[in-house]
Amino acid sequence: MAEKRRAGVVIMSDSKSAAADGDQEFLSQAGVSALLRGALLKLLESRPEDPVGFLAEHFGHLSSEADDGGAEHQSVSRALWHLSLAHHSQRSAFNNNVRVAYELLTQGVPCRVSGGGGVRGRLYSEMLRCLCSEGGLSGSTAAPLLRRIQSHDYEAVPFELFRQGVLTCAVFADYIRKSQCLYAAVASAPDRPAERTLCQAVLSTLREALETADGTDVARYLEASAKISPAKVAQAMAEVHPRAQLQDGPTMDAQEFEDAAAALFIARVRIVT
Amino acid sequence: MYDMIKQHRHVIRSIMSAKAVSCTIKSPVALQIGDAVSDSSRPGVYITDINLAEPVNIQEISFKNYYAAYLTVRLQRREDGSAKWVTCLRNYCLMSNPHAEAGSHDYFSIYRQQDSERDVPVWLSTLTPVDEPLDLNGLPDPETVSSSIQQMWALTEIMQASQTAASIGRFDVEGSYDVKLLSYT
Repeated sequence: MAEKRRAGVVIMSDSKSAAADGDQEFLSQAGVSALLRGALLKLLESRPEDPVGFLAEHFGHLSSEADDGGAEHQSVSRALWHLSLAHHSQRSAFNNNVRVAYELLTQGVPCRVSGGGGVRGRLYSEMLRCLCSEGGLSGSTAAPLLRRIQSHDYEAVPFELFRQGVLTCAVFADYIRKSQCLYAAVASAPDRPAERTLCQAVLSTLREALETADGTDVARYLEASAKISPAKVAQAMAEVHPRAQLQDGPTMDAQEFEDAAAALFIARVRIVT
Repeated sequence: MYDMIKQHRHVIRSIMSAKAVSCTIKSPVALQIGDAVSDSSRPGVYITDINLAEPVNIQEISFKNYYAAYLTVRLQRREDGSAKWVTCLRNYCLMSNPHAEAGSHDYFSIYRQQDSERDVPVWLSTLTPVDEPLDLNGLPDPETVSSSIQQMWALTEIMQASQTAASIGRFDVEGSYDVKLLSYT
């Protein structure tokens, strides 16, 4: 058996010891053993449910680091990966992942005596941009939101703000998806645009509910939900769409509807100063 | 029950001078179900009308009870020519157990603070659905539309609830200067 394996090598050289040196030399030159050792240590550390997938991710990150040379890019994509593990509605899991992502991005930033570190502004803004695009948002949809919450490159973002920004982007992505479902519900047929009056009635129903400001939380929720009950919605739609009028009126396309809905959300996002 | 009016001493005080206001108290009228008046039926609800000679701001209503378990008080408000009935006290408990004696002969005073000075919120009064079914011919399904709007509203609430007062540390960046050092330059 040993002879068979060495058969190919024998052609090149006569002595067995030379071939053995060649193999070992190759391994040590490439640093493969150190590579494998590091990978196995990481694997043991995290004990993931999917070891093969984990190793694939690990080597993938290493190779992209080698290509780009920037550890930053690696940490952003790692942070994004962690944030993708739980939906924002899974509150505690999501918060844990935000914490992990934050730690990843603050590595290498020295902790200052005066106020503690934070994520560098440039990294934070890039994170938010990637989050929005991974959430299915187009650049133009996400732009007005990002303008409100991203920071300058030189600024340091503390954890609370980081968490708030990440959550806002995740929630906004869901919100836009919902608004697309809403448009589809208002449009009479998938291939035809929805009627403008109906769209406006539906959007103003949402706007009125959002503008419920007075009272305690419970009172606000009750009042807002009364405004958007199916009966109220039916009433609002029937008011603008009397039976006599068929689908002759002006229409609103999906993008305009989505932009109008987005504006309602973004108007309530606090501008980061 | 029919002796009630003689037993009660209604005293209504006005807000201006805290003195008694004269009023006409009518005999209590029993609520009847249906048309026929049956001798054997003893209704549980009586209505006593009290008329004031002139409109006043009522501050206090005092009376002596005679086996009434719950009291509802409605006032007719005159505002700018229109008259509106408002309920200022609903099912106010006078006797903790209607079949026992406690509270049956007690004196009660109801003060102005007890009434809901605000009317019922508009949105609450419009909660009951419209009687005629709306013609939804060709309109989008209200359930689906409402559900989507509700979720969008809830998502906006989540975002707003998470907003904190946290602010960015403008000068806290690695490799840059400390604010305090500026004063030395």
